[in-house]
Amino acid sequence: MTLAALRLRAVLRRTRLLQILLIAAIWLAGDALVRILGLPVPGGVVGMVGLLVLLALGWVKPASVRLGAYWLLAEMLLFFVPAVIAVMDHGEFMGALGLKVALVIVVGTLLVMAGTALTVDLLYRWRMRDRMRHAVE
Amino acid sequence: MRWSDPTLHLLFWPLATVAIYILAKRLYRRWHYWWTGPLLVTPLAVLALLAILGADYRQYMSGTHWLVLMLGPATVAFAIPIHEQRTVIRRHWPVLLVGVLAGSSIALASAWALAHALGVPDAVGRSLMPRSTTTPFAMAMSGEIGGVPQLTAVFVILTGVCGAAMGEVMLKWLPLRSALARGALFGMAAHGAGVAKATEIGREEGSIAGLVMILAGLLNLMLAPLVMLALR
Repeated sequence: MTLAALRLRAVLRRTRLLQILLIAAIWLAGDALVRILGLPVPGGVVGMVGLLVLLALGWVKPASVRLGAYWLLAEMLLFFVPAVIAVMDHGEFMGALGLKVALVIVVGTLLVMAGTALTVDLLYRWRMRDRMRHAVE
Repeated sequence: MRWSDPTLHLLFWPLATVAIYILAKRLYRRWHYWWTGPLLVTPLAVLALLAILGADYRQYMSGTHWLVLMLGPATVAFAIPIHEQRTVIRRHWPVLLVGVLAGSSIALASAWALAHALGVPDAVGRSLMPRSTTTPFAMAMSGEIGGVPQLTAVFVILTGVCGAAMGEVMLKWLPLRSALARGALFGMAAHGAGVAKATEIGREEGSIAGLVMILAGLLNLMLAPLVMLALR
């Protein structure tokens, strides 16, 4: 690798903004691919799979995108605030419908929590018991 | 410049949104309750400011729609935590896969059944179905299955806030022995807010919650065509 390339890499590993731009470029590439091929998934997901492949092949080192990636994930809430403000255009949720929606969310979330956690715990214990038995034999 | 000037809205609302968001994060660092999280406070404060200044949704959106676009790069960014968790995935993938599959099925089925039982309009019911997954995936899925992505964004937030609050109580009730199950509970049911809560409980719980959240988002998106068939 040439000296200039090495220096560029050293700058990239320290500069969050550059990393964010790199991630945005991957997203744009994913988006373009989705549009050209007419794929039924969002460009972000295609970009994510692309970045995973690049990381697995070692073409992109985690250190080159880590700072930017964790910044984007940490500030994600800011990005969907405008989407939430759309609730302004939905006055119908003030009242009975709003209460029904709240009920669906609370009861549904309790069911998801109990179902997921119990399934995972049961499977985990089975696998551990299996492993112990194999170890003893 | 007059208040009706569109340029003013173009500049003012993104700045106001970012400022409110930063203040909300400070507030949460100072007063740490389930209802003071920036997840709930930021949108409410923006809504209050819109009401006080008498601006409407279109004026607000004209300057801030590019913020929503940032959800695209944020989705790409999930590649890093997945990559860093690959040893956990390799070791526990059967358990994680079945857990996420069970959780997603319960989330989709319970939303649909409860919405129908209560007589909620079909489009609202469909918007409720992906509410357990993290925003970029939930909004994408909502559009795929005939929901309203913006409504889903609101439901996702409400789910996160109530899930993170109820999760702690559920931990006391359920006989869970593994960090894997405790993490999955938060990651599956309450996405980002749940991951934050799980991280407070333990490091392992937190990283499992984050992983489960991403896997659930991906799985839900893959299930979308199936859901579409089932709903027809």
